[in-house]
Amino acid sequence: METQIEQLRVEALSAIAEASDAVALKEARVRYLGKTGSVSLLSEGMRTLSKEERPVMGKLLNELRAAVTAALDEKEGALTAAADAAALASIDTSLPGTAPEAGSLHPLTLLVDRAVQIFRRLGFAIADGPDIETEWHCFDALNTPADHPARNEQDTFYLPDGRLLRTHTSSIQIRTMLANPPPIRIIAPGAAYRRDEVDATHLAQFTQMEGLYVAPGVSLADLKGTIEFFFRELFGPGTEIRFRPHFFPFTEPSYEIDLRAEALGGKWMELAGCGMVDPAVFEEVNKQRGDSAYDPEKVSGFAFGFGLDRLAMNLTGVSDIRMLTENDLRFLSRFTA
Amino acid sequence: MKISLSWLRDYLRTDKPASEIARILTDAGLEVGAIESNGVAIPKVVAAQILESVQHPNADRLSVCKVDDGSGTPRQIVCGAKNYKIGDKVPLAQPGAVMPGDFKIKVGKLRGVESEGMMCSSKELGLGEGADGLLILSPDTTIGTPLSELFPAEEVFEIEITPNRPDWLGHLGVAREAAAFNCGELIASSPALPSTKKDASVAAIAAPEAASFYSIRRIDGVKVGPSPEWLRKRLESVGLRSINNIVDVTNFVMFETAQPLHAFDATKIEGALTVRFTNEGEAFTALDGKKHKLSSNDPVIADARGAQAVAGITGGTASGVSETTTSVLLESAVFTPTVIRRSSRALGISTDSSYRFERGVDAQGALAASARAAALIVEIAGGTPASELIVAGSLPALRTVPLRGDRVRSLLGITIDDAAIAALLAKLGIKQVVGGFEIPSWRNDLTREVDLIEEVARLYGINSIVATCSGIPAPSSEADKAYDFARGLRRRLSGSGFHEARSGTLTGSRDQASYATGGIVTVRNPMGEEHSTLRASLIPGLLEAVSRNLRHGVEAIRLFEIGKVYRQEQPEESTRLGLVITGRTALENWRGEPERSVDLFDLKGVIARLGNPLDPITFRPATHASLPLALEILMGGKPAGILGVLSPAATREVMVGGNQGQIVVAELDLAAIQASSGTGFSKDPKSFGAIPKFPAVRRDLALLLDAATPYSLIEQTALGAKEELLSSITPFDIFSDPEGVKVLLGKKSLAVALTFQLADRTLTTEEVNEAVARIVTRLRETAGAEIRG
Repeated sequence: METQIEQLRVEALSAIAEASDAVALKEARVRYLGKTGSVSLLSEGMRTLSKEERPVMGKLLNELRAAVTAALDEKEGALTAAADAAALASIDTSLPGTAPEAGSLHPLTLLVDRAVQIFRRLGFAIADGPDIETEWHCFDALNTPADHPARNEQDTFYLPDGRLLRTHTSSIQIRTMLANPPPIRIIAPGAAYRRDEVDATHLAQFTQMEGLYVAPGVSLADLKGTIEFFFRELFGPGTEIRFRPHFFPFTEPSYEIDLRAEALGGKWMELAGCGMVDPAVFEEVNKQRGDSAYDPEKVSGFAFGFGLDRLAMNLTGVSDIRMLTENDLRFLSRFTA
Repeated sequence: MKISLSWLRDYLRTDKPASEIARILTDAGLEVGAIESNGVAIPKVVAAQILESVQHPNADRLSVCKVDDGSGTPRQIVCGAKNYKIGDKVPLAQPGAVMPGDFKIKVGKLRGVESEGMMCSSKELGLGEGADGLLILSPDTTIGTPLSELFPAEEVFEIEITPNRPDWLGHLGVAREAAAFNCGELIASSPALPSTKKDASVAAIAAPEAASFYSIRRIDGVKVGPSPEWLRKRLESVGLRSINNIVDVTNFVMFETAQPLHAFDATKIEGALTVRFTNEGEAFTALDGKKHKLSSNDPVIADARGAQAVAGITGGTASGVSETTTSVLLESAVFTPTVIRRSSRALGISTDSSYRFERGVDAQGALAASARAAALIVEIAGGTPASELIVAGSLPALRTVPLRGDRVRSLLGITIDDAAIAALLAKLGIKQVVGGFEIPSWRNDLTREVDLIEEVARLYGINSIVATCSGIPAPSSEADKAYDFARGLRRRLSGSGFHEARSGTLTGSRDQASYATGGIVTVRNPMGEEHSTLRASLIPGLLEAVSRNLRHGVEAIRLFEIGKVYRQEQPEESTRLGLVITGRTALENWRGEPERSVDLFDLKGVIARLGNPLDPITFRPATHASLPLALEILMGGKPAGILGVLSPAATREVMVGGNQGQIVVAELDLAAIQASSGTGFSKDPKSFGAIPKFPAVRRDLALLLDAATPYSLIEQTALGAKEELLSSITPFDIFSDPEGVKVLLGKKSLAVALTFQLADRTLTTEEVNEAVARIVTRLRETAGAEIRG
């Protein structure tokens, strides 16, 4: 019997080793371990053995069963792993991925948003106002003389009722001060309009960002620091910023801001206007409010404004500003969000 | 405004080069946009004569010349040009010369032969394109003469002058500013002023609103003729044309002092010259020969016969200086800016004179300019000026403006003592006096304390100000919330494959009417019909984008835009979300999955997902003039927008070029979406309900319905009957057979999945069966549904 057991072990283990697929392995399992399999048949023979032999042979038989089971399981594992590996190996991973089409955000949106997030770090809130404005909000309140050339029909769009399309977002300064007492710390992204002939560098409608801070003791040094912080955040710490004295009716002193940054092609670029709010603007706001909340002896402020379209042109590398309104998907799809 | 550097140097002693002067002026607020340079300003470029020329031993195209540059020793120069002959005189850049483009000339070997300089073409000298090859100089040129003498450099600044600084509209004013900013020393000259006399028979002001001061100086015995060379060059350098010596002097003095002058032919004037407003309809022929009909708003200088000049704007042909003129009446006046501006605009005449009067002239300067012009006329045209200047009106006294040092320090954020402030202002001729600072007559712009603070800031220099960055943070506003909501929406839409469009708000009226209700807002002075209205809907702009992209061959288009629309009713301006889809549902890929064109439901699904899950968006059929298949979008039960498919005709119009498929559009009110959206968290967290712990049971039903029975009826019938166990119903197949074989004609097959679930226990098969039976019964009774197979 012992010899039989040993013969069966050799036979079974070699059959298992030779099984080349799951079907052959299953056959081997039935042949050796099934109800009528070889191991079971040998176990039947136990009955004919003596009392003394029985435990010895029983132990050997159990060892045989365990060895065959282990070999079967091991082989099964190996075959499964090989089949899994083969299945994976057949996949051509060099094929492109198949995600749904990606959308995109307009470059002006991305630019406005970067600007907004930077100013929010400085504690500015957003303000807004209508595109259709009164002449008072757009010009008079901003200390613009009644016969200022910007008011004429060649430069400004008028509605039949005498109102106009705001020529700058500065009218939002006025609306915010009329609605709220100081302190005011706002930015206002929005559209503005000028009667420019549309060409590669001009649109009749453009996107601006306005800023205003009014509180006791606000100084030109604060304006300088805020502008420098903003543009260095936007274009990198190496950004050079130049303030040139200028003239605007609604600020005094007034400056134009030139920038030079790698992100903008490394050339000086005239970008923004800013200055300390002219006391005449505060006086006009007070008059309209009917109080003296904006007493120029008690509060001061700075304001700034800049156009975003030319910046967007520079940052996106387009040479024709009309690209920003034509919604050409070949252009838009570059700006995946 | 052109400022000639050599002219400027008449009033400014400086050794600074043009680029440095430009930088200083720019920092002072006179933005120098460009420096034009005519002539040669390069040292070490001289006239030289070519003595001999032989072929270069190592280069076919080069020759080796010996040239005489007047230094005594001939120089050897390697040259590539061919256009010269022995004996020609040409420009030679000697070693050390720095050519345009920062190209330094050195002694060096060219293909093995030493070259001690470079013979130059006109292009290399910056004298323009010129002919090819070397610039051949005139044979009588003296060898060794610097080219800067042969072609004197005439550097001209193009300066943007801000409207508050009319004093910069003359070279003297610019020199004054440059000197104040340490650019050099002002060369002051004060002409002897004649004595003045009032004589209303010579000069009078009948319209004090139009002029505060008017003066006439008579000069007899002048000889009108061409101007001398220096005067012509000065005028040409700033873009003026020489006319005759008298007119040229008035222009010269204007570009020197910023005070416009006018000269009348004295023999053509009858009686007093009077500043008055015209009679309505008075005819006038300006110096340019054009006839104008004047209105009662136009100020004129009139004599006994009528208008001889439009005050401060233009003279007239009748009384202008001509070759036969022997006596002139030289006018120097102070006209009121607003009056001049109004008249200039109304007449459509803008001149160098009106440009200056519109901005305001130096009141005291009118006298000096008159004296300066009279002296120059005598110098170049002869004649004898009257000993007295006949004046009308008066010159204003100098103004004093108070200034507090504390105010300067707090507004600028700098530390500076009062004496230093006064010292800075003194550089501009602003003198400290009792009660403040006395403003020079040419600074009409300085009337308030803040105006002086600005001057301190300019002189102190913003570069010297230490930047600070502090402030009181503002609480977030409603606009912040709207911005953040739109920002999130934009990101969600772009994340689901939509590209963001931005279209102009000014558009043609024709497109608007189709997709908007209510009155369209029009522009009174549009830039053409295509931009004559403010958009009332985002859809036309999106359709234009679709059309453009289809022409480019794009096969799948998903666009959205968030922007304002405008209408005559309140709210006049509102922000909308516009969406458009057309073409294929997905990009082509290697899986070979069946392609499909988009339809209404693709966009309906996108919109349904915009809503708040606790308050889902609903839709109801709507009629729309331009969308034959249209649904009204409801949020919180209230109308929030429209969704629909373009009519075939409208589709064809967009799809030029025979593309296939539908165009689906939608437009929603952004505020309505925002209002129904909340913050993502519920005000009442319990309203979300518990997360179900017990398994759900799904049962599918195949229903046979009348083709016209809407799905919504099935859904409402199933869900509406307070069937406690039923948690949702989802359609998963709809089928009808046009042959009437698989499904009878007029019928359709609808398969729905019913999901049953309870929060507190596992359902039994029996109770689900009973619920399904009840639902089936109701569907049969209410919707005429039969159960299939």
